[in-house]
Amino acid sequence: MLLESVQTDFAAALFDARRASTLLPSLLHPDKQTLERIALYRGNLLAAWQKALSNAFPVVRALVGDEFLDALARVYGHAHPSSSGDLNRFGEHFAAFIADFEHTQTLPYLADVAALEWIAHRAHYAANAIVLSHYRIGSLRPHQLLASRFTLHPACDWLDSGFPIAHIWLAHQPGATMELPKSLDRGEIALVARPRWRVEVVASSEGEIAALEKIRAGETLETAIEAGIEAQRSFDFAKALPRWLDLSLLTQASASHDV
Amino acid sequence: MKESSLSQSLGVGIGLRAPHYHDLRARERCAGWLEAHTENYLGDGGYDLHVLTRLRERYPISLHGVGLGLGSTRGFSPEHLQRIAALVRRIDPCLVSEHLCWGAVADRSLNDLLPLPLTDAALALMCDRVTRMQDALQRQVLVENISTYLRFAGDDLDEPGFLNELALRTGCGILLDINNLYVNQCNHGTDAAAYIDAIATRHVGEIHLAGHLVTDLAVIDHHGDRVCEAVWKLYRRALCRFGDVPTLIEWDTDVPALDVLLDEAARARQCQDTFLAEAVHAA
Repeated sequence: MLLESVQTDFAAALFDARRASTLLPSLLHPDKQTLERIALYRGNLLAAWQKALSNAFPVVRALVGDEFLDALARVYGHAHPSSSGDLNRFGEHFAAFIADFEHTQTLPYLADVAALEWIAHRAHYAANAIVLSHYRIGSLRPHQLLASRFTLHPACDWLDSGFPIAHIWLAHQPGATMELPKSLDRGEIALVARPRWRVEVVASSEGEIAALEKIRAGETLETAIEAGIEAQRSFDFAKALPRWLDLSLLTQASASHDV
Repeated sequence: MKESSLSQSLGVGIGLRAPHYHDLRARERCAGWLEAHTENYLGDGGYDLHVLTRLRERYPISLHGVGLGLGSTRGFSPEHLQRIAALVRRIDPCLVSEHLCWGAVADRSLNDLLPLPLTDAALALMCDRVTRMQDALQRQVLVENISTYLRFAGDDLDEPGFLNELALRTGCGILLDINNLYVNQCNHGTDAAAYIDAIATRHVGEIHLAGHLVTDLAVIDHHGDRVCEAVWKLYRRALCRFGDVPTLIEWDTDVPALDVLLDEAARARQCQDTFLAEAVHAA
């Protein structure tokens, strides 16, 4: 009995009940009860998938219901088996899976909701950083400020969607007072940040994202502001900067470590 | 028992679960130590790691891994081991443990603690992997006996013999889960008391206590209830054999209020104190 072939047979029996008979001869008491006990391990695997997706995609769950999400987890787990001992990585392909899956086509925005939730999930576990404070920015002279280069917080990311994605996300948070937007056929960019350990999602704009892209690329604040205005005439840096600081988006270039 | 080992004893710890973060931060130190599931803290940063780092200032922390799959022939991940090593450097835990199990094949992880055939080949593989883990972490690790629903035909060793040999060859310690012994006794008819008596005394570095669920098909090790009387009895037997070993109250399913865990911990502490008083009296 080769250890490797026993483990291969065991794994096959967890993914396909019909394969359990191949494992059975390796086991003590290869009887009906043992077959049923193999099913307990199959149940564990499914439960692990369901729990991992449920944790990472609470808005998808709210939109489709517990039962449908559990069914999705079963199909997803077979199509994209876990590749890590860390189940927090299990949902990596879930948005792409939903985009292609025939039974989720009736909810065309669901794949983008999943993509946004995955960004938020990653943000929760992203590295810590020392963020720029209002005080620090206030101590700079205007020309110093414009010539400054910052970096974005490791948790900062965004999603450009054909749906009002930030509003859909916000309407499904615990204790949300916001209603689902009446019309779902307008696009929106959702910006993800992690001020004070808590992941937040806000609606953003083309100008703001164009500016943040320049900051991320290591350009000066002046270049970022210009890019913001180029992308969107109404981009207002005087409003954007305090919002970025409130969202803990900016960190000192080159000084990123634990808080 | 020497005085120094008494003062160094960690006593009784409890499992660290997210629903208790707030209570544990707000209260005075209320347990001997805390045990965190390693895989919940492998992120680069964020809130969970922040809480663990803060609690580390007040509690010894044990890191208990559930995802490395030491006995996986294929699919063992050096990257996962490196992430554990990074967390160990960051937290400086009092104990580090993993399981006598496997959990992955070449192209997929099964994210469960799966039973190994107790063969010479499995022992050789486990020795290799435990050595690799101890080298990466630069410290001793403890290996825990798991509960199983199945057993393999054609084992070369019994489980205590397997663990004794693993500890002897690698220098690792044994994390003895008393509830798992009891669950396996119910599921397979093995003798939990005889198992305890067969484990070499010097290797045991930690004990786990937990609750289980009795079903028609099998006893399920779900860590969602109080410790049962039969397990308390086996625990007292283990204390007599292994001494005042750090003991953990595990509770992972339907996590109750912190006070329920502390209540269980107090009972374990009482067992330890009774054992110590008797040991002193005997000496």
